[in-house]
Amino acid sequence: MEEEKIEQAVLAYLKKKGYRQAELAFQDEQQTHRSLNSSSGGGGDGGGGTTNPSMDPAVANSIFLYARADGTLYKEGYSKLRSWVHSSLDLYKNELLRILYPVFVHCFMDLVAKDFPQEARLFFQTFREDHDTLHLRDLHKLEGVLSPQHLQESELAVAFRENKINIRMCQYSFELLLQYLHSTDSMLMLGIVNEHINIQVFPGQPSPLPEEEEAITLTGKPQEALDSMNQKELRWGTLEDSLEDKLEKELAAEAEKAEAEGKETEADDMKKRTADGGKAGASSKKSKKDKTGTSATGKGAKSDSAAAINAPRVKPDLPMPSLAEETERQVLEDLRNRARLGSNALPSVSFYSFVNTHNSLNCASISADGALVAGGFSDSSLKVWDMAKIGAQITSGDQGTANGVVSNGVTEPKGVALENSKSSYTLLQGHAGPVYAANFSPDNDYLLSCSGDCTVRLWSLRLNANLVCYKGHNYPVWDVQYSPVGHYFASASHDRTARVWCMERLHPLRILAGHLSDVDCVQWHVNCNYIATGSSDKTVRLWDVQTGECMRIFTGHRGMVLSLAMSSDGRYMASGDEDGAILMWDLGSGRCVTPLLGHTGCVWTLAFSGEGSLLASGSADNTVRLWDVNASGKTSRTEEKSSGKRRLRLLKTLPTKSTPVYALKFSRRNLLLAAGAFSPLKTSVMTG
Amino acid sequence: MSIVPKDTIHVIAQSIGISNLQDDVAAALAPDVEYRMREIMQEAIKCMRHSKRSILTTDDVDSALRLRNVEPLYGFASGDPLRFRRALGHSDLFYVEDRDLEFKEIIDAPLPRAPLDTSVVAHWLAVEGVQPAIPENAPIENLAVPPETKRGDAHGGGPRKEDDGAIEVKIPVKHVLSRELQLYFEKITELIVAGSDTLLLRDAFLSVATDSGLHPLVPYFTQFVADEVTRGLEDFPLLFSLMRLVQSLLLNPHIHIEPYLHQLMPSVITCLVAKRLGGRAVENHWELRDFTASLVAFICKRFGHTYQNLQPRVTRTLLHAFLDPKRALTQHYGAIRGLSALGSRVVRLLVLPNLELYLHLLAPELSPETQQNEMKRYEAWRVYGALLSASGACVYEKMKAHPYSLPTVSTSTRPKIISPSRKRSAGTDLGQPSQKKSHVEGGLLASDATGSVTEGRNFDGGEGSSQAEDVDGGKSRGVESGSMDDGGRRLGVEANRSNERKSFSLAEAWKEDVDFGSLLLSLVDLFGDSMLPFIPTEEMSLFL
Repeated sequence: MEEEKIEQAVLAYLKKKGYRQAELAFQDEQQTHRSLNSSSGGGGDGGGGTTNPSMDPAVANSIFLYARADGTLYKEGYSKLRSWVHSSLDLYKNELLRILYPVFVHCFMDLVAKDFPQEARLFFQTFREDHDTLHLRDLHKLEGVLSPQHLQESELAVAFRENKINIRMCQYSFELLLQYLHSTDSMLMLGIVNEHINIQVFPGQPSPLPEEEEAITLTGKPQEALDSMNQKELRWGTLEDSLEDKLEKELAAEAEKAEAEGKETEADDMKKRTADGGKAGASSKKSKKDKTGTSATGKGAKSDSAAAINAPRVKPDLPMPSLAEETERQVLEDLRNRARLGSNALPSVSFYSFVNTHNSLNCASISADGALVAGGFSDSSLKVWDMAKIGAQITSGDQGTANGVVSNGVTEPKGVALENSKSSYTLLQGHAGPVYAANFSPDNDYLLSCSGDCTVRLWSLRLNANLVCYKGHNYPVWDVQYSPVGHYFASASHDRTARVWCMERLHPLRILAGHLSDVDCVQWHVNCNYIATGSSDKTVRLWDVQTGECMRIFTGHRGMVLSLAMSSDGRYMASGDEDGAILMWDLGSGRCVTPLLGHTGCVWTLAFSGEGSLLASGSADNTVRLWDVNASGKTSRTEEKSSGKRRLRLLKTLPTKSTPVYALKFSRRNLLLAAGAFSPLKTSVMTG
Repeated sequence: MSIVPKDTIHVIAQSIGISNLQDDVAAALAPDVEYRMREIMQEAIKCMRHSKRSILTTDDVDSALRLRNVEPLYGFASGDPLRFRRALGHSDLFYVEDRDLEFKEIIDAPLPRAPLDTSVVAHWLAVEGVQPAIPENAPIENLAVPPETKRGDAHGGGPRKEDDGAIEVKIPVKHVLSRELQLYFEKITELIVAGSDTLLLRDAFLSVATDSGLHPLVPYFTQFVADEVTRGLEDFPLLFSLMRLVQSLLLNPHIHIEPYLHQLMPSVITCLVAKRLGGRAVENHWELRDFTASLVAFICKRFGHTYQNLQPRVTRTLLHAFLDPKRALTQHYGAIRGLSALGSRVVRLLVLPNLELYLHLLAPELSPETQQNEMKRYEAWRVYGALLSASGACVYEKMKAHPYSLPTVSTSTRPKIISPSRKRSAGTDLGQPSQKKSHVEGGLLASDATGSVTEGRNFDGGEGSSQAEDVDGGKSRGVESGSMDDGGRRLGVEANRSNERKSFSLAEAWKEDVDFGSLLLSLVDLFGDSMLPFIPTEEMSLFL
């Protein structure tokens, strides 16, 4: 009977394909074979090899499959698999559910590849609901794919085709799955699972608290490679001989001297010290302006117990530029006067609103001292405001007395070439496309900007002129950022690469390639040895600047990554995506410490406070949010082993008056500076 | 299968001059068109994100096209929404409206206004984590009424907690006023202090009464009013202006004045019942008192339901002023005006029962023989007039409400004013409550004696006694009788009658269903014919 079926299938196949001759020949042969069979009664090995009674059912199945050769098979197979998974044991259901999405995607792509657009669309519409919640953006991208040619062009489809998806499941779940696939002869599904899914089997029971919303992210690397990559040694400590380091040493020396002179420290100072000693948080390390705090850290360098408090010092791999003495002095002074922040001491926020932008402001940037504000516009222009000067003109009681907004804007008067009496800003023209990002150098002498015209430009703020135009990217450059010490900078582009440059060379020093989609943002590590990039492929990667190697891949975002920030001790990184989620990463382990949920719009910008105890985030939902980072820092440090995934605390939500927050920056004295374009909705009525 | 129908492909083909496009060609093209469109939109969304916008514009689409090395679409400037028109005769064919423009028109047209140049303004979004209530920040309604106050009210400790700016202490908000508001405040206060009743001042009050966004200034205004009233009791025009300012603030619909009422009320009450208002006697402080009385009534009417104890406290304070014979006549006048402004119910409840007694006191002041000082006499007549109009209005309203029955007893033989008798046997009907209440009243009077002009500030005195005067029948009756007793000015007639007839028309005026005829008659007795104009004409006919 089996044999007959196969024969029928072959016939049908030939008929369908229009192989008339072969069909006739086949029929002829069949006839003769049958007569031969009946006459001789022996099982001869006839033509076509179809008569072998002990033929592998799998082969038969596949022939059968090709014979039917229409799209309904995928639909049947998938819907069976789906209902099986949904009716499976609860304990293993969560793990099994994870394979549905990749199977769904590949079924769809197979259908498209085999040129069944109609069936493909039907299949897609039937089952898309299952995945809408988790993979809406991917589905949008896939939806339009309707011909084999599209498959080759679509970035996402290619990524799916070329990479296996990593799924972890326990031994038993895996067996269940295999058993099902074999027993039901669903060769199609089995084939997809084999070909495109990399199932990692781990022994034991499935984890009792499954990360049910685990994002499936393509990384372009097999899981083993990923794991080994994330195991690479990372020296995440702060930079040796940095100014902060110097200051600490200086203060430690002072403190020791003071202690030697006599123990006239007041009682409350003593209290503070004990408190600081007890607190194993990053804050104690950063309490530089507090004498006792530094004395504690000074001692900590010697004693083993306190060693963990300090971030390790790391030698730079890059030749470091030297700082002018004047700026160094000034920075040290600022650091000394830094306000201590924490959950009880929230920062003051000075907000720079751009008004009358007519929706043309693309980016904003604030200099380290808050005195300069730059805006990049869609009309290719770049405008720089000197807030110190504006403040002086207004002589406003409010802003004038602000601690550190303008008071430490000791920048010399600039050349005012383009300034006239009416406009208070300096206009920098040169780009030939929308300006997507701008960044001040740490010493405020230079400004970098990148644009849709594929170039990065360097501007001198003393001359108000364009100095260099860096060409190298082939597509619009989305982001550019100076290294913490200046001189070097990194850019991120639509061409899926990030590049590292130094100011005096026209060509990039390194090209960091590996992202599967646009590189949307870039961020230097505090010790300048690493660069983090966020991409539209939903991953964040960390690269070694010296070797250009990818050191870490962080997966977990569900949308494009729009903003990054590094904590000042170099241990943590925060990344914000277009869905409003912020993830905190431990660079050392490559794991997500905790998600920070709350924003309802794109997170445009993130900033850690100077001593790393607060994280500020600015979003398209017109709010600035302040998060307590210390809590998580402690948790991950002390309770890391016990997998204490504690939520970071949202300390405060500061709504603005319909002003999306484009840029945030903590000044060296820990004043939070924010900028955004005031964009009132036309329909909204002013309330007052 | 594709969301782009074949017909669309045909239409597009026709628009570029291919009229005989094969059907299968169109069918093959459709999915590709869809894919390309999706691709472009995807890129456009990327561009939108990097422009930090959440609304897709035609610019983004152009950038996306450029990214894909496609010529951008010209002529669709960002900003103006495209207007699609339906083609005549086709239900699903649309085109972009593209008007012909006359060069001449464009050249002749006046230049459009230049758009404002971009600029940057700095403000404090937060000061040490707390958002100042300035116009640059998002309006925060709950800052105006801090939760502490509400909670305080909720569990009943209301009056004490609200006292004297306690709220201001509780709010950890550092008020940062914008320059504009500061200027505004300065201008307004300057105008008021300058004191000339100019047109400008009138406009200023109008502005305070109507402008939105003044809320941040309310605490400053209330403080200003309080300060100026205590400082400027001698300055009549200033006081008047201040009261008008208060009125404007109350009228402004954009202001939550409730949390500041407790600060405002003492000043207002002071302006009503102060002994002397204005430096010279010639100044028309009566007018100010009348105005303030209406203001008080307005406040009680508007906020009475949210602050249950507001009106009782106001009436209590006024009653004190009214019943204390040691007070100046001006104070009595203010109190009477205030009470009468609160409505006829209050008058019936609190004024009428004391009327006879009071008139008795007033009599010597009225006649030139006993009161030589003409000023005093004038004041007395003023008070008399206030009383008359208060009771008259009350009667009038009552008459209007109940088209009336004839009086049942004739009391017309009663002498107008009867000499006081100290004798009073505690009637069986009054005994119980009056004894209980009389000592309360005694306490009240004692505190009255020590009270001064600014007693209005002592707004939340003994709680128990304020309840005593609450709209509680038995109690208030006790108070009345007690007060009469204490004052020792009981009317002999009443004393005589109290045994045989248990209702005194006046003393029981608070009762809703009081025998109205007798009330009226006793009023006519007291006031004589001057009461008659208050009686509606048709009712009058009954009497006549």
